[in-house]
Amino acid sequence: MKYHRTCDGMKRRDMLKAGTVGLGSLGLGSLTLGDYMQMSQAGQLSTGRAQRAIFIELPGGPSHMDTFDLKPDSPDKVRGAFNPIATNVPGIQISEHLPKLASCMDKFAILRGVSHTLAAHRLGREYVNSGSKPIPALEYPSYGAVMSKERPGEPDVPTNVAVPRSGHGPGFLGIRYAPLETNSTPKFGSPYSVRGISLAGGIGVEEVKRRQGLLKKLDRRFADLEKNDQLLDGLDQFGEQAYSMITSPRAREAFDISKEPDNFAKQFGKESFGQSCLLALRLVESGVRMVTVQLGGWDTHQDNFTKLKTNNLPKLDAGLSGLLNGLEQRGLLESTAVFVTGEFGRTPKINKRSAEGGRDHYPRCMFMLMAGGAVQGGQVIGESDDTASGPRHEAITPDDVAASFYYNLGIDPTLEYDTNTGRPITLVRDGTVIQQLFS
Amino acid sequence: MTQAFCVTVVLSCGCLAISLQSAMAEPANARVTKQTQDAQPIAPLSQRYAKAETSETPDFQKHVVPLLGRLGCNGRACHGSFQGRGGFQLSLFGYDFQGDHKALLDEAAGRVDTDDIDESLMLAKPLDADIHEGGKRFDKNSWQHNVLRQWIESGAKFDDEVQSLVRLEVTPKEILFLGEEKEVQLKVIAHWDDGTAENVTELCRFSSNDDSIAEIDDVGFIKSGERGDTHVVVYYDSAVEPIPVMRPIGAELQNSTKPNQVIDQLVQAKLDKLGIVPSGQCTDAEFIRRASLDVTGVLPTANQVREFLADNAPDKREQLVEQLLDSPGYAAWWATRFSDWTGNSEEQLNNVLPIRNVASRLWHEWLRKRINENVAYDDIVEGIVTAGTREPGESYTDFCKTMTKACEPGNESLFAEREGLPMFWGRRNFQKPEDRAIGFAYTFLGVRVECAQCHKHPFDQWSKDDFEQFAKLFSSIRMNQKSILNESRKERDKLQAAIVGERTLKGGELRKAIYKAAQEGKTVPFGELTVNTSAGDRARKAAAMAKKKGRKPPKAVIPQGKILGDSVVKLDTDPRGELMEWLRSENNPYFAKAVVNRVWSNYFGIGIVDPTDDMNLANPPSNAPLLDHIATEFVNHDFDLKWLHRKIVNSETYQRSAATNETNVMDRVNFSRHMPRRLPAEVVYDSVVLATGSDEHANKIRGEVDSMAIAEGKPRQRNKQDFALEVFGQSIRESNCDCDRSNSPSLLQSIYLRNDLDMHKRLSDKDGWVTQACEALGVDGPSAKGNPKAKLNLRRAEERRAQFVKRVIKFQKLTDQRQKKSKPQLQKEYKKLVQQMNQNGYLVPSMSKLLARPQSWASLKPKQKTKPATVTMASLVEEAYLRTLSRFPDEEETEISITFIEESESPASGVQSLVWALVNTKEFIITH
Repeated sequence: MKYHRTCDGMKRRDMLKAGTVGLGSLGLGSLTLGDYMQMSQAGQLSTGRAQRAIFIELPGGPSHMDTFDLKPDSPDKVRGAFNPIATNVPGIQISEHLPKLASCMDKFAILRGVSHTLAAHRLGREYVNSGSKPIPALEYPSYGAVMSKERPGEPDVPTNVAVPRSGHGPGFLGIRYAPLETNSTPKFGSPYSVRGISLAGGIGVEEVKRRQGLLKKLDRRFADLEKNDQLLDGLDQFGEQAYSMITSPRAREAFDISKEPDNFAKQFGKESFGQSCLLALRLVESGVRMVTVQLGGWDTHQDNFTKLKTNNLPKLDAGLSGLLNGLEQRGLLESTAVFVTGEFGRTPKINKRSAEGGRDHYPRCMFMLMAGGAVQGGQVIGESDDTASGPRHEAITPDDVAASFYYNLGIDPTLEYDTNTGRPITLVRDGTVIQQLFS
Repeated sequence: MTQAFCVTVVLSCGCLAISLQSAMAEPANARVTKQTQDAQPIAPLSQRYAKAETSETPDFQKHVVPLLGRLGCNGRACHGSFQGRGGFQLSLFGYDFQGDHKALLDEAAGRVDTDDIDESLMLAKPLDADIHEGGKRFDKNSWQHNVLRQWIESGAKFDDEVQSLVRLEVTPKEILFLGEEKEVQLKVIAHWDDGTAENVTELCRFSSNDDSIAEIDDVGFIKSGERGDTHVVVYYDSAVEPIPVMRPIGAELQNSTKPNQVIDQLVQAKLDKLGIVPSGQCTDAEFIRRASLDVTGVLPTANQVREFLADNAPDKREQLVEQLLDSPGYAAWWATRFSDWTGNSEEQLNNVLPIRNVASRLWHEWLRKRINENVAYDDIVEGIVTAGTREPGESYTDFCKTMTKACEPGNESLFAEREGLPMFWGRRNFQKPEDRAIGFAYTFLGVRVECAQCHKHPFDQWSKDDFEQFAKLFSSIRMNQKSILNESRKERDKLQAAIVGERTLKGGELRKAIYKAAQEGKTVPFGELTVNTSAGDRARKAAAMAKKKGRKPPKAVIPQGKILGDSVVKLDTDPRGELMEWLRSENNPYFAKAVVNRVWSNYFGIGIVDPTDDMNLANPPSNAPLLDHIATEFVNHDFDLKWLHRKIVNSETYQRSAATNETNVMDRVNFSRHMPRRLPAEVVYDSVVLATGSDEHANKIRGEVDSMAIAEGKPRQRNKQDFALEVFGQSIRESNCDCDRSNSPSLLQSIYLRNDLDMHKRLSDKDGWVTQACEALGVDGPSAKGNPKAKLNLRRAEERRAQFVKRVIKFQKLTDQRQKKSKPQLQKEYKKLVQQMNQNGYLVPSMSKLLARPQSWASLKPKQKTKPATVTMASLVEEAYLRTLSRFPDEEETEISITFIEESESPASGVQSLVWALVNTKEFIITH
């Protein structure tokens, strides 16, 4: 007897039965309601390419001109201190401070001249973390939440994990799709565990099993009602799942990066970001569907070049190249979609806030990276103008990239959801899949 | 078929019969009387336009637009979409007659061509003569075609005056199906204010609120399905008419005993009709737990349960309800619930006050004080709706002084004593007039008007214009940290100057300086709520001037707004007084119902209207007489909230058992049984703390409710929320939706309760009940086991013992003379050892004993620190059950528990596991 409607007068179930909307009884055949049909078909669109995903967020807004979109011939006031270097793909150059990524350029694609208009951190992040321009009435779900809903995993590993936390929530999809946030990052060579999943408080597996046995014996009051009550049934299911996750070594071991051989772990760098990428790899290998990893510190209003050179770029270079190489070595690259982005680029014009200068928020031109799954590595898509101040031709939008990311995962980006207030929402409102990524 | 009878019974034979004994509570007679005066309805269009040759001119509003709706033209997927379709756009659901007429007659669109009628796309497209993405909609010379063609031929007119639909008469008014696959055809007559009536069945839209029970097609033909009850809804013009449909579970019941209370009678009337036998009454143990948690959010203590169960007073349940309503938990918990509905969110209140992370606390305390004093609901709301920032007669500086003080932790009551809650108006998501229209309707009316922001509300009477007029009401009110009355400006500047001195600070820096000053105890400036009445002021001035000069006062343009579905309010003064009068007036269709329904929902897990914030015509109450009755009585009792709680909690309906019978097992909406629901986030949090805490600790928390989550003791702050509360779905209070609070279970919740460090700590805490229980059992507590510090001490003590034994042996080997010489040193060492050992809780044999036989001290002996057992294992298990599940264990449970503890590694670990298991039962986390 669930009462649930959409704003335009149709109930979800009606929409799924698209043919019933209309004039069947007048004997005039059914409507071709393009939207609804598409949506109902979306449920069957499970011929996904990539099975799992790693989303790397670079909050703060990384400078595009000093990383993946250098303009060595531009005027001094915009050029910056860094020089381009060749990559292992002829014709593609990136920053000299990303040498490891340069040597695996064939494994990822660079999107240049990505453009939007939201220059505030929060709004920009909401945008690039969901692929839809934020609106005040509701929050769009994160990629991880959508993966949780559309590609639920196995019981003894979580579906959606964020290391250390997620920049964006499950939005209107609801907390059940929220990621399991680790709240901390792993350290090189040290055992690693996560809140609630690892056994703690001096309790061993045997004790947990004994307790579970006792619980089963005592938790009988509502046995009669269970089969007819969704709540009781749900509690039972979650309880079982929690138990298998706590007691099964699988989740625990997936989190414990110290299980990786040193040689393998080393290629990610010893910084926490690199080790988080290693964790992401272990997790997707163990059945986690979506891992979000964060590397912050990109808000370089001052001392842009020193910060990038000494801190951000070496971390990103080691971690991301380690991840791409590691995925390939494990045979996972073809089934794992990787997406890297900040919330915006940074101003081409160098400001004078400090001796060497900095760069400010700049959404009109930015870069994004895609790899894995069906993505064809070793290519640059899109182009910025001479001073990297905007796209040279038609702009790529965050919506387009999000749509492509979903497409790579076999999730129809035009999938339609109802919000909790019954409003129908298209997953990616305005995005078009960038076909070139996949060719 | 005669229409004078309101209930249609569809018998198993499939034919229509008339029930002569109407069980309807609805005053059907009034309508019948009216109906006899109505004009004879004219025949449907399909008859009048069966042939192309007719002289009748179809009416644009009555016929053409609804027909386009029925043909699907103005749906969201077609021309009703905001972008239109194929270069042609209609208003969604066709309520903008002027706009639609204009769109149709737009020459560029070519929809209507009065010169070459059949070339009109309005005809050619649906005939699919011209390629139509929407396909063929009707046949040539069908009545639909004839109607549209005739309209064009007659000039395609629309006379700008929108006609008023008086009512929509749907027959049958109520449908009772006595079998599966039974069928009924609805008939719909539109009554217009010019006295005419017309059969418009074939022009209506129809929908079913549950098509598993009643399926309705697009001509109003209903087919029965599963047993249960629901509504089908008829839409025509501005009307939305729900029709109850029932397929009884069992035979209609004739109960010999009538319940005493009206609430129970009204619930039973519906159940009887449906043939549902309600569950029996819950046990006393179930009642004390259920009522305590629902009324106060606080888990009862073991002793409270014992005493209540032992009490023989026949009215002990009523007495308990009174005690609960007088307890601090009641006010604290309901202030939290009202905080949900009024949108008390620190996130949204950021920078409304100059001092951070206090606004939400003040808001809660303001509500708590009033609920505690049982201030009438309408008076509480008045304090919010008409809130000003300053008290009458208070100077701006005094206002800032008091507010600065009130913002210090512990001084919240200073704010609570003030008349108004202006922060309600200052929230970031409550600034634009449209947001306020939506938020205001959500909070005080339980109505969602947001659909009407863009188009006619599909399930309600609200048009876009209603929404816009309503939103305008809120446009003159301003409230934020910077807003200030002109007269206060000087004082504000003075206060500010005292803080910033010579510096010129702006924006964030100024805020930081003010924030810092407040922390140093300086009085800081606060924003004020202002109402812009300048248009009125100007008009008054002009009128006074004109009078002075002996002229006629000029015609003033005063902006105005309109109360939702009600009167126009001029914005030359503060409109909120009138708004408040409308809210509390007896005739307000929503105000009392909204709060009654929300409170009811708290006790039953489902509203009489559900969702509780979506009262609309197409979402009728599951039991309208019930909601009407309680709401009316609530108003008659001067909006007395405690009266409302008392009425509900003392009803038989509330006190039903969760055990089901064959007839009510599937019922979720008719209150025929107790429906288990997961406890709200704050209640779960507190219950875990209380159940696992020692008596002393738990009593302390219960005494000072302030630290409890139900009292916002763990408030959600900006970017910061308690992990457990977040996981269990504490309301975010941001999106004008009761669904901001989630009571659904999740995997993370189960993991938290089973294996979070919080839980392990609570089970081994020195202030925990497990420790207390172990003391009572005379055994080591949980902290003794596996404690690394204790292990280290033991190792050290062991080393000291071995060393000292060696030392004594060495001493004995000395010559007497040497022994004599070094004896004082040995004794000194012994003394030190005894001190160290005692500190760590171990005994040391006497010096003489050691000297006699040093090897006899082979192992450490702990001092007797645990007292002898004062309780039996059985009574301990009993206590564990009472303090977690609020009931005695049965024999089997006691035996299982005792055996488990005995088989455990230690009693402490056994008791820990028992409490762990009890807290993880479904019984703990749900109501029963």
